[in-house]
Amino acid sequence: MGASMFRGVPWLPLLVIAAVGVCAAGGEAILPFDANELDLGIAFKPPFWLAGGDMTNPLGADNLGRDILSRIMAGSRVSVIVAFYAILFSGGIGAVIGMIAGYFGGWVDTLLMRLIEIQQSVPSIALALILAAALEPGLSTVVVVIVLTYWAWYARIIRGEIMALKGRDYIAFARVAGVGTPTIFVRHLLPNIFNTLVVLATLQVGQVILFEASLSFLGLGIQQPDISWGLMLADARQYITNAWWAITMPGIAIMLTCLSSNIFGDWLRDRLDPQLRQL
Amino acid sequence: MSGFFIRRLLQGVISIIGASMIIFVISRLSGDPILMLLPNDAPTSMIEETRRNLGLDRPLWVQYLIFAQNALVGDFGNSYRWKMPALKLILDRLPATIELAMCGLLFSVAVAVPVGVMSAVHRGGWIDRIGRVFAMLGQAMPAFWVGLLLILVFAIKLNWLPAFGHGSWSQLVLPAISLGWYPVAAQTRIVRSAMLDVLDSDHIRLSRALGTPERLIIWKYALRNAAVPLLTMLGVYFAAMLGGAFVVETIFAWPGVGRTVVEAVFARDFPVVQAGVLFTSILFVMSNLLVDLSYGLVDPRIRNGR
Amino acid sequence: MLLSVRDLQTHLHLKRGVLRAVDGVSLDVAEGETLGLVGESGSGKTLTGLSLLRLLPKGSGRIVGGSIKLDGQELTTLSEAALARDIRGRKIAMIMQDPMTSLNPVFSIGDQVGSPLRNHDIARGAALRSAVVDVLQRVRLPSPADRLGDYPHQFSGGQRQRIVAAMAIGCTPRLLVADEPTTALDVTIQVQIINLLRNIQADTGAGIILITHDLGVAASLCRRIAVMYAGQIIETGPVRAIYRTPSHPYTQALLAAIPRLGAKRARLTAIAGQPPSLIDPPTGCRFAARCTLRMDKCAEAPPNVTLSDGHSAACWKLV
Repeated sequence: MGASMFRGVPWLPLLVIAAVGVCAAGGEAILPFDANELDLGIAFKPPFWLAGGDMTNPLGADNLGRDILSRIMAGSRVSVIVAFYAILFSGGIGAVIGMIAGYFGGWVDTLLMRLIEIQQSVPSIALALILAAALEPGLSTVVVVIVLTYWAWYARIIRGEIMALKGRDYIAFARVAGVGTPTIFVRHLLPNIFNTLVVLATLQVGQVILFEASLSFLGLGIQQPDISWGLMLADARQYITNAWWAITMPGIAIMLTCLSSNIFGDWLRDRLDPQLRQL
Repeated sequence: MSGFFIRRLLQGVISIIGASMIIFVISRLSGDPILMLLPNDAPTSMIEETRRNLGLDRPLWVQYLIFAQNALVGDFGNSYRWKMPALKLILDRLPATIELAMCGLLFSVAVAVPVGVMSAVHRGGWIDRIGRVFAMLGQAMPAFWVGLLLILVFAIKLNWLPAFGHGSWSQLVLPAISLGWYPVAAQTRIVRSAMLDVLDSDHIRLSRALGTPERLIIWKYALRNAAVPLLTMLGVYFAAMLGGAFVVETIFAWPGVGRTVVEAVFARDFPVVQAGVLFTSILFVMSNLLVDLSYGLVDPRIRNGR
Repeated sequence: MLLSVRDLQTHLHLKRGVLRAVDGVSLDVAEGETLGLVGESGSGKTLTGLSLLRLLPKGSGRIVGGSIKLDGQELTTLSEAALARDIRGRKIAMIMQDPMTSLNPVFSIGDQVGSPLRNHDIARGAALRSAVVDVLQRVRLPSPADRLGDYPHQFSGGQRQRIVAAMAIGCTPRLLVADEPTTALDVTIQVQIINLLRNIQADTGAGIILITHDLGVAASLCRRIAVMYAGQIIETGPVRAIYRTPSHPYTQALLAAIPRLGAKRARLTAIAGQPPSLIDPPTGCRFAARCTLRMDKCAEAPPNVTLSDGHSAACWKLV
């Protein structure tokens, strides 16, 4: 513990994650400009290193003269919120179902496994489309879609771990000694799958961010005037011939965030739960 | 083998039934479909009558059975927008989607196999290192962004390839690459680690000891072993392609199921959405099934029921 | 002389340092002769065998000195391509330890047995098929013609070792290197495989190097034995001489460790201590640290002392 716990920490990725976190938490207070403020005078202003650009709008401006840097910073908020809730619920639901299936086995297990199979037979984007058609698109719909997509992933892995744990002596002793099932779950099973859950959650961050971006890009996720990186890209697509930076910068934000959380997740996995390596 | 076959088939059928239930229930969440069928100013009596005619006054499970029964004979209702049977609309567009998904898969495998093999053969060499960097990047870039960048560079700046449309092979290149981009990383990793295992095995050592040329050792004797884990995953990847097609088809104006469904969602054209999503699910389940059954072609141990 | 190895030096470049795995090995194999290369694991016997074919661990293993001559042809300087084309599987073939893992699970045995024949242009097309059937008959695999399309998992361990042997003898090699060919097998199957090797030798007149840790197996098949310790051959001689008058203290200890049928007391003496590290081996006798007869002189490298015709050992005690 202590110093050794932090050996080999990928500092650079962690820095990126921290920056995204700060942008998300800071909200409007730390933005250089109001992210939705129009200034048609600087429409299609290029980033600072190109002719016509300057450090006032370091990453340039979009078709309506909105500052791209400010919009990227503001967009981080959606990514963080969606990632937080989506992971919380999909991980929570998946873990509970996985634990129940693994612990009780028998028909309960068969039923839940069938359910997982069925869930996995609908492509997640298709599920999102039909949900978006049925409900109002928006942040909560995005979260619902991601939860519906990912709970099975957690459940499958947690179930496997629980089945392995169940065979251990101390669980059997606890059962024989008349320890109640809820106590066994909370005291004996949960602490043992905790590391796995943390690793899975970290590895999921990147995927959630990509998923949200894709949905928003299709117009099925975050709606104007809220700001999301995917939505920015959908906008920028309209004038791709005029301003290449508008289509590059938000994508780089997505890429850096995902890259960083993936690298961090890999590191965490090697630290906490190397058996998950095949994921 | 036949027992396994029947069991897998049954599982597939159950999955499809389950998927149809999910689709049905979610569609009904949106509220009363009647209001979408009839004009806003329709008299109450007319609403009631239509409701009875369509069986919408009955319990939900009965409604599902009616939906399932109709779906079985291919009747998903008429597209509100195109005024033609939803099924026909979807079936018309299906080949284009399958074409795109196949080409995407082909692209990813065509990149992943040689890169994975060479990364394993020259472990720690430059191909291995570059491959790893690309894998990390690939996993962090959404397909639609890759598509947009490809359009930006190859269609707009260089003007080498068309940015949209369907028909000629040149129009297929960019969509197939954007679709196949994402799974390349994972596939490369699978091939690489499988190759590393195989190249370290006794039978490859024996092959070498008996003077088999290195090129045959790698591309024949080792690769067929290493292909097993990739093949077992191909169904999953093909399915992922179908999912990715929704986004990629939209960017490249590809006339497939994906774009049709996305447009139908915006038009609240439920019959088309239902038919499209159900068909994608069926394809999804079938591709997984097919791969399970084709294992045997590459792995004789499974073929002979071991 | 069919094979003659002189002062062979093979190094393994590891992270910890350079491991002198084979350090000055010399040996001869005559046509039709079987030489037993005996030693504990880690003694360098397997790497000696692999050095003959230059099949050393990629990147780390290298032959740094000595010569290997097969029918007078120097192998250490031969190009990799020529080695693969003319030597491996053609003139020198190998049988490996574990028949369960020596065959490729996803290729039919017909393909695998045929592979050396194809690669060395021995047979093609229809002739290939009959050549494969023929060689499988020679290793006494039951009804080979019907089983060409079968896969390794459909055969038993003993049958698989026969198939491996068939792959090895397909091109009628001059020399067969058999690395622990019986270790992974049941005792009854071991006998069958030993008989098979005998028959192969009678058939083809090939020289055989049998690499084993088991003096018993070596004695049952070989005319001559070379005992390896810590990368060097410390005693070599005819089987009888080695058994009757083992001269190196290590050979004596090895023989004492074999429980003998008919001996009054089964005396199982394990040799105390560990072999020295080959990364930085002692300059003198490498067995000295474990030797009960150690003298001051043993700090210097011992000379190779000829005891009788063909029997020699490297020990100061014999001078």
